[in-house]
Amino acid sequence: MLHIANKSFSSRLLLGSGKFANPSLTQQAIQASGCQLVTLALKRLQLDQPQDDLLSPLREMNIQLLPNTSGAKTAKEAIFAAELAREALQTNWLKLEIHPDPRYLMPDPIETLLAAEQLVKLGFVVLPYCSADPVLCKRLEQAGCAAVMPLGAAIGSNQGLQTRAMLEIIIEQAKVPVIIDAGLGAPSHAAAAMELGASAVLVNTAIAASQDPVAMAGAFAQAVNAGRMAYNAGLAETQSHAASSSPLTDFLAAL
Amino acid sequence: MRILLNDTPIQLATNCTVAELVQQQQLKTEGLAVAINNVVIAKQYWSKHQLQNNAQVQLFQIVTGG
Repeated sequence: MLHIANKSFSSRLLLGSGKFANPSLTQQAIQASGCQLVTLALKRLQLDQPQDDLLSPLREMNIQLLPNTSGAKTAKEAIFAAELAREALQTNWLKLEIHPDPRYLMPDPIETLLAAEQLVKLGFVVLPYCSADPVLCKRLEQAGCAAVMPLGAAIGSNQGLQTRAMLEIIIEQAKVPVIIDAGLGAPSHAAAAMELGASAVLVNTAIAASQDPVAMAGAFAQAVNAGRMAYNAGLAETQSHAASSSPLTDFLAAL
Repeated sequence: MRILLNDTPIQLATNCTVAELVQQQQLKTEGLAVAINNVVIAKQYWSKHQLQNNAQVQLFQIVTGG
């Protein structure tokens, strides 16, 4: 079980709800993934456009909603977005994300830490999207974050575990769940993250932008399970030389 | 009185509350958040909070996102 704050989840796959072609596809992908945590975003209401009813199906599926602060460029903006999200969804769970630079969407570590410290005091369950920086992750944990969400690669880049060496240190040191967020482009990336000992992964683009998002959601679910099982089973150590797995006796020497 | 609703000026009767404004605009309240002059108004206060002339009302909604 994955334990975050006061809740437990049997699935270790979190899904982002963006970029799906339509709400029905989002819902089907969520079901196929078996995920129990789904991220959402906020935007200013367009008064001349109808409001989508994307929440009712999620409520029926008993999903923990995780609104994000995407669009915030500073701690001040993120706190404002967090308060809006709390009112909009009546949840104090929050994916904190502050990325001022639109080209790489790298999270601003200083603003993220400042915002996390204040949001925890305001009673939020804070899950910060952050750089794969072991020191920063430790500081976020000390600030009271319920988990840390270091990036594997840039958001939506599908490049996989570019930050692998740093993630290993973060996982080794963390006392809160480590959720690898961003950049996972294939089920094999998710499996690799879980084999490292990550508590969970968050995937969006790799599923939503695939040719068959529902099938891909199922593939990610299996990969996450396989990776976790492998981690629990304990991987055999790597060796620099061959190590035979068959007996190398000289029974053919007589020829 | 006049308020700005997401930057659009609209006329309202005096003593209009946030809840009444939301109702007039025929908005679904689930997934909706309201800020007045950059201060978030908790849903529990919508029926009590009276709008002032020239208030800048901002409406936000939950959308999909990663």
